[in-house]
Amino acid sequence: MPDSLTGRILHLQRLSTEDGPGIRTTVFFKGCPLHCAWCHNPESISSLLQVQWHADRCLECLTCLNVCPRGCLTMTRAGMEIDRVRCSRCGKCAEACPANALEMLGRQVTVDELLPELLKDRAYYLASGGGVTLSGGEPLLQMDFVEALLRGLKEAGIHTALDTCGQAQAANLVRLLPYVDLVLYDVKLADAGAHQKYTGLPNQKILANLLVLRDALRDGGLGVELWVRTPLIPGATAGAANLAAIGRFLAEHLDGCLARWELCAFNNLARDKYSRLDQDWAYAGQALMTSAELAACEQAARAHFPDPQIVLASGPTRPPED
Amino acid sequence: MTALALQTESRPRFAIKTPENLSARIQWLRDYYFQGVQRAWNNEATAWTTGTPWDFQYNELNFYIVPETYAFLQTFRSSFQQVARPVALHPDFWKWSLPERRAWFMREVMVCYLPREVLPGDLLAGARFNVQTSACLTRRETRSRDRLVYGKNGTRAALVWFHNHGYGNAGPTAGHLIPDYGRIVREGWKAVHAELESHYDGLSKRERRGPRAAQLRAMLTAAGMPRDLARAYSRECARLAESESDPVRREELRQMAANLLWVPWEPARSFWEAVQALWLTHMLVMSDENYPGPGVSFGRLDQFLGPLWERSLAEGMPREFGKEILKCLWVHANTAYDSMIRTGGNQGITAGYGQLLTVSGLGPDRQDRTNDLTYALLEVVDEMSPILEPKPNVRLHRGTPEKLLDRVVDMIASSQGAPFLLNFDERSMAGMMLQARRSGVEHLIHADNVFDYAPVGCLENTMAGNDRSGTVDANLNLLKAVELALTGGFDLHPFTDPLTGVPDPPRRDGPDTGDPAGFATWEQFWAAYGEQTRSIIRRIVDLYERPEAIRARFAPTPYLSCLVGGCAGRGLDVTQGGAELSYVTIEAVTYATTVDSLLAVKYLVYDQKVCTLAELVQALRDNWVGHEVLQARALHRAPKYGRDDDAADALAAQVMELWTEETWKHKTFSTGRQYRPGMLSWNYWVADSFLLAASPDGRPKGKFLSNALCPSNGADINGPTANANSVGKVLGGKAPDGKGDWLDYLNRLPNGGSHTMSFNPSLLRDPEHRQKFKAFLRGYVENGGSALQVNMINAEMLRDAQKHPENYRHLLVRVTGYNAYFTTIGRELQDEIIARESHQTC
Repeated sequence: MPDSLTGRILHLQRLSTEDGPGIRTTVFFKGCPLHCAWCHNPESISSLLQVQWHADRCLECLTCLNVCPRGCLTMTRAGMEIDRVRCSRCGKCAEACPANALEMLGRQVTVDELLPELLKDRAYYLASGGGVTLSGGEPLLQMDFVEALLRGLKEAGIHTALDTCGQAQAANLVRLLPYVDLVLYDVKLADAGAHQKYTGLPNQKILANLLVLRDALRDGGLGVELWVRTPLIPGATAGAANLAAIGRFLAEHLDGCLARWELCAFNNLARDKYSRLDQDWAYAGQALMTSAELAACEQAARAHFPDPQIVLASGPTRPPED
Repeated sequence: MTALALQTESRPRFAIKTPENLSARIQWLRDYYFQGVQRAWNNEATAWTTGTPWDFQYNELNFYIVPETYAFLQTFRSSFQQVARPVALHPDFWKWSLPERRAWFMREVMVCYLPREVLPGDLLAGARFNVQTSACLTRRETRSRDRLVYGKNGTRAALVWFHNHGYGNAGPTAGHLIPDYGRIVREGWKAVHAELESHYDGLSKRERRGPRAAQLRAMLTAAGMPRDLARAYSRECARLAESESDPVRREELRQMAANLLWVPWEPARSFWEAVQALWLTHMLVMSDENYPGPGVSFGRLDQFLGPLWERSLAEGMPREFGKEILKCLWVHANTAYDSMIRTGGNQGITAGYGQLLTVSGLGPDRQDRTNDLTYALLEVVDEMSPILEPKPNVRLHRGTPEKLLDRVVDMIASSQGAPFLLNFDERSMAGMMLQARRSGVEHLIHADNVFDYAPVGCLENTMAGNDRSGTVDANLNLLKAVELALTGGFDLHPFTDPLTGVPDPPRRDGPDTGDPAGFATWEQFWAAYGEQTRSIIRRIVDLYERPEAIRARFAPTPYLSCLVGGCAGRGLDVTQGGAELSYVTIEAVTYATTVDSLLAVKYLVYDQKVCTLAELVQALRDNWVGHEVLQARALHRAPKYGRDDDAADALAAQVMELWTEETWKHKTFSTGRQYRPGMLSWNYWVADSFLLAASPDGRPKGKFLSNALCPSNGADINGPTANANSVGKVLGGKAPDGKGDWLDYLNRLPNGGSHTMSFNPSLLRDPEHRQKFKAFLRGYVENGGSALQVNMINAEMLRDAQKHPENYRHLLVRVTGYNAYFTTIGRELQDEIIARESHQTC
């Protein structure tokens, strides 16, 4: 039986209400092949462990400075400076920090450790039609672990959802389907050049994999549900042309296979995450959409889509200008 | 004008729930109520005396559990005495036994002295009930009683010592039970009276000279009081009808007069009569105990009124008129607060009173008992709210209908939090079944009647009509045992008299469990904690015994005793342990603070060895000042209860087992009442935080203790499901072999425990999310505790969370894709969320 296989995850989100049906626990994996400019989980992009510092928690006791074997930490007037080049990600500083001001992002877990944690909310999954969602980062980067985990969840009778960016080997995607009830599949941009520009990679493979997935679902009789998700990023993905193009693609290729197309409005809550990682974020000053803009996106997506009632837009909006 | 008093108090900036669908009649009554002191009529307490120079009214034993009143006990006694009006006594008055004197005096005041009014449009009679009546003691009795209460060795001094030293408090207070109102509605007072007569007739000549006969005679007098008062109110209604010009109102008054000639003496024939009988019977309980609404529950209102609701509807009563009758009941219940209407900035409205009712829940054959009246009552709650009384409890279970749960979640969504408390049947019933087993009353609580339990006070489960479980009479700070284990039985800080500034000399009050510096292992420390825990439980049992004995001897409540099964048959007053089910509940306070403190000791001293026990004790003596790094480790690195962490929760379960097992070992000596465990903290977790020393969990003196069964503020970092799972686990969880005390459920707290959770309103933003929240409640039925209070956080609170993040670490806000902890995200983003939430809730 599985398994001492280990995976690298960021954290678990319990009572997750936005990643599939019902009440779920979402497992966030560490590491992603894309580098989306707007990424809301910048700590999930690198597959390496990272350390971050919370100013509001720090006692300035300097315990960490003394335990760091490489002297990577300096307390300045502006706060803690972390020499991320020399940092060996040993985690000793976070381990020693009395106040959890220094925190390691990412941890290794075995399937056997993780499964019981995920089963703790079984009563809520059953009551809600929920279950477990694997998200990220990109779960498909840790295939063996993810397969063992999904298999364990299915053996326990838990509804499983795989949230993927689609940038993976098609065979891997298909390999997991026997253990998956729902695929949440991101389609961000229809135009390959724009995709390259905003995410670091073109979208051909992603779109091709979506068709492979479609065929597997259609022919396999697996009973797997498919939702497509599109983030609405002002100036990047939220344009009417992009949404219409994605709509046309989905209409042409996935008619009848798609249970839901979710449009997820931009949120700016990742700003502090970037600053804790000493990274700049192009969207730090980006305002939320207005509800009228969100409605317009929904309209644009529905315009060329045969099944408008499965197109659902949601997310934060800002109050209309006075 | 509406809800003026309530709104001024909390100054909400955002639109809060307002009443709706009120008829002109109810709108007027409700508005009139909230005019407070400006009303021409009110229900302010009046005091009544036998006229003897030694007489007094105020029974301070009722208030021993309210430390805020300690400084005023003498003032209250003197004040009521000074304003008391004399009652002309029966010539034989002083020849009678004390219960007979009390019963006669009460009837005389209620029927012959108090004015009777019916407010315009009101459909129910029975208005003045807040009274402070004479203790009816002879000079000798008064002297005996006062000797026990006052002086260096009196109960008052013992109590104040106990409180000042951080142990808690104890005293036999009023109410906190479900009188047998169902019987009055079904059979009328005449059945009670007849039963008393048959018991009395069964006594031998010799017995008729004894205390049992005296008690029965007193109860016979009391049982006639509601009939006589109803007839007097009937005359008043008839008089008003005579002069009434509006024909519709005239007809209502005539009907009220007719109702009152029939009920509560005879069985109710209509819904209107039933509610009239209920109200008059209930208000006299408050009169009899001289206490305005002390956690007295109407019980399962939708169950025992259900047949008459259906009957009246079938006979043509419009449903809305039935609801109007109930809304009149709501207004009447709120006039309990008139007791001290001229005190404070809020017209006497305080948290110290409470009347409650229960709806829905299981019945025979494990079937759900929700009926049309359940929904009508919830409509009344919704349409009248915000209003404080009566406080509804909704019972949920595995088979709760979707329709009811939809209604419940809609009401939660529209009212910034539940306007009611949720109770969970399976867990609650497991606790009641455990109680039956542990105290040998399986003939009184069993699988065929346990579903008739209902909460009293706030959420304390009892049976109905034959149960007094003293649910707030003994309130014990478990944390004191940690302090005593850390010192070998001494206070960490000597208590200093606030008036003289003189500290107590050091004294070993707890058992000598040894110098903790010598504890080489965690097991040694745990053993010391165990011994100190058993010791503080014995201590509170000893403390309670004395006022319990005084009440039993000097403060009978013969009227209430008529409504509690067991008293008539035994010829014992309810204050003497007459109830068939007679318990005192020890409510443990500071549970999570205690568990987290033990976890911190284990983590810091024995597992991680970051300090010695002696160093930890020094840090606590210094209130953590100069030990901030150690304090941070205790706060942030040590494990905590409430995270669904099996290892931490296992220790929490051990703490639970230890104190509840000791509790079951005790009974009151004077009244034979069995002790049982529960967890409720009222406001002690706030107030006593200034008495208890710093604790090993990182809490400095003066910072709030944990509330009832809840995890410490901010400890539940894994969210609501983890929090609920921890709560269910420490109660006993489910039996691995499926053989629990009810189905597979276990519950170490028959009384139940208070559990409060806060959510962001956006979790209920659309039908899909409301379904998820419903499912959360269904999951809670499986994994959680016996009672839950849901809070929906508004922007105001989010702003407070910015100022005081330490109080809000558990506050969830919705972030696209998932929910995040508000305090973990940056200031600007918090501002944006506040703007967003304000936008949504305006």
